[in-house]
Amino acid sequence: MALLRAKPSAPPESLPAAPGDDRASLLANLHSPEPAVRRGAARALTSHPEAAMALCDRLDIETSPSVRAVLFTVLIRQESPAVVARLLVHLRSDDAALRNGTIEALQEMRGTVTPHVRDLLDDPDSDVRIFAVNILGALCDPETPALLVDVLRHEPHVNVCAAAVDALAEVGTPDAIEALEALRTRFGDEPFLTFAIDTTIRRIRGG
Amino acid sequence: MTISARQPRSPPTITEDEYAKFCEYFYRKTGIQFQDTKKYYVERRIADRIDKTETESFRDYFTFLRFQASGEELQHLVNSMTVNETYFFREDYQFEALVKGILPARTHNRSQRDPIRIWSIPCSSGEEPYSIALSILERWDQADNWDIEIYASDIDSRILNEARTGLYGARSLQRVPPALLSKYFLSRGEDSWQICEDLRNSIDFSLVNVVDPMQTRRFRNVDVIFCRNMLIYFDDVARRETVEMFYELLSPGGFVCLGHSESMSRMTSLFIPRKFQDTIVYQKPSKAE
Amino acid sequence: MSDTTPQASGARILVIDDGITMRLYYRTVLEAAGFTVEEATNGVEGYEKAVAQSYDLLIVDINMPKMDGYSLLRAIRSEAAIRSVPAVTVSTEAGPDDATRAFQSGANFYLVKPVAPQALTELARLMAGGRS
Repeated sequence: MALLRAKPSAPPESLPAAPGDDRASLLANLHSPEPAVRRGAARALTSHPEAAMALCDRLDIETSPSVRAVLFTVLIRQESPAVVARLLVHLRSDDAALRNGTIEALQEMRGTVTPHVRDLLDDPDSDVRIFAVNILGALCDPETPALLVDVLRHEPHVNVCAAAVDALAEVGTPDAIEALEALRTRFGDEPFLTFAIDTTIRRIRGG
Repeated sequence: MTISARQPRSPPTITEDEYAKFCEYFYRKTGIQFQDTKKYYVERRIADRIDKTETESFRDYFTFLRFQASGEELQHLVNSMTVNETYFFREDYQFEALVKGILPARTHNRSQRDPIRIWSIPCSSGEEPYSIALSILERWDQADNWDIEIYASDIDSRILNEARTGLYGARSLQRVPPALLSKYFLSRGEDSWQICEDLRNSIDFSLVNVVDPMQTRRFRNVDVIFCRNMLIYFDDVARRETVEMFYELLSPGGFVCLGHSESMSRMTSLFIPRKFQDTIVYQKPSKAE
Repeated sequence: MSDTTPQASGARILVIDDGITMRLYYRTVLEAAGFTVEEATNGVEGYEKAVAQSYDLLIVDINMPKMDGYSLLRAIRSEAAIRSVPAVTVSTEAGPDDATRAFQSGANFYLVKPVAPQALTELARLMAGGRS
């Protein structure tokens, strides 16, 4: 049994010197050419909420998926209206991964997201409105079902309505049913939407 | 109807549509997927939580669960839906994948001076890291050619001491073939066997809180992480932080093994799913930055 | 959604979409046409299922959590064991670049939401065929 090394020498290698834990070096390391250094710096800045805008700046130009993932995670922890506002810009990005990472990060946040995202329900771009609905649909905010019902009443675009119907399949309450029925009248010739509305009403009623 | 004391309630009925809604939500939040055959089991536990939370119906309960910002009720639900038991060679197909797929992949074109590092977290009372050791010794024909370091960590110091002591009853050992039992264990009285000293000494046990970066920093260049049935108990953000930490500690091309009802797909896209011996394990890209 | 054309005999389709009602719609339409349907709720899960089992067709949403449809297709097209599975992307975007982007990522066909049931089953028959 010599193969299993008895008592592996505790720390496998001497640890790299603790990365400059002072804020200035962490901020500088956010722009290191090494992704691992950028990830380490971002992670270490979790406990520095005043660094949130610097993290947002990095996210604006970051292309490495692993660094982006860490930046998003840290920004979820540092949730604030300012962070939300900076993230929302990426909903218009051409980069699908950045867009979806942004949606997921906003969905994880707690209290500050709804007012900002609500404004996007009037955005001229229907895809941005869909993303807004996707975000609202995942929040724990009890205000969201009513916002989604509002979308059913006023939204002209079929795919945005479909996204709201889909979200209501999980969070809808019986007071959404009337708006769902009205939407069916409005888009009666659209088989998918009719199907989605029926499904959602069933999920709300419980069968 | 006049107001009266609450009637003893019959279990609330949960319709097909409510069940489907529940399963989709629960899956999204935990990664745990229920088969249709589990419906009765799941319903019983939901009914129990409806009772404990004093909600009136499935609909009320679901709204409470869905909009609770603290996520506390979801934790209660996860605890009630999962059985946290451990025994030797539990989910053995993963140890099979370790010796047939993962270790051959990790040792291909590699210097034998470079030790193989395996980390079991949470290791609980030790069945998992010892099963890893036994699988390597008994089922990997290359074992003698490599230095293999097995690390085992848990957040619970009491259970970690049990792991170090290595005393097990018949229930833990039910999957251990008699030949292995007599080769690696010593009888310590009725229904009690102790794993041999060599094996106990070969594993590095440590107290680790996985969400504390200072405590996980000593693990570096890990080849395989076994992390089974722990992340289901974490909230979404802690889960992200943990798998991102795994990414950091693994060597490029290293693997993560999760429990059979778990999937990395709910947590991150940083790893590549790989199929070995009918099980899916997750690999850090070998060209990872 | 009734259909009088011959039933596709059990060809397996993996539907990858984060919308609950969308997945159920695909399932209902395609099962009625005789296909066997499985679901994945995001791109990583789709990749995981495509690696674990074999499918005759993938139907892939573009905007999804964890891994978008384009990235998923690029990942599938670079993995030897599964690279040849036919795939359709379905998107809400109908800009001039979107079709190009879909084909460049490895899609064999491109649909825009909302998808009519006839279009879906016809395309599935064409691309997944029937297995007997």
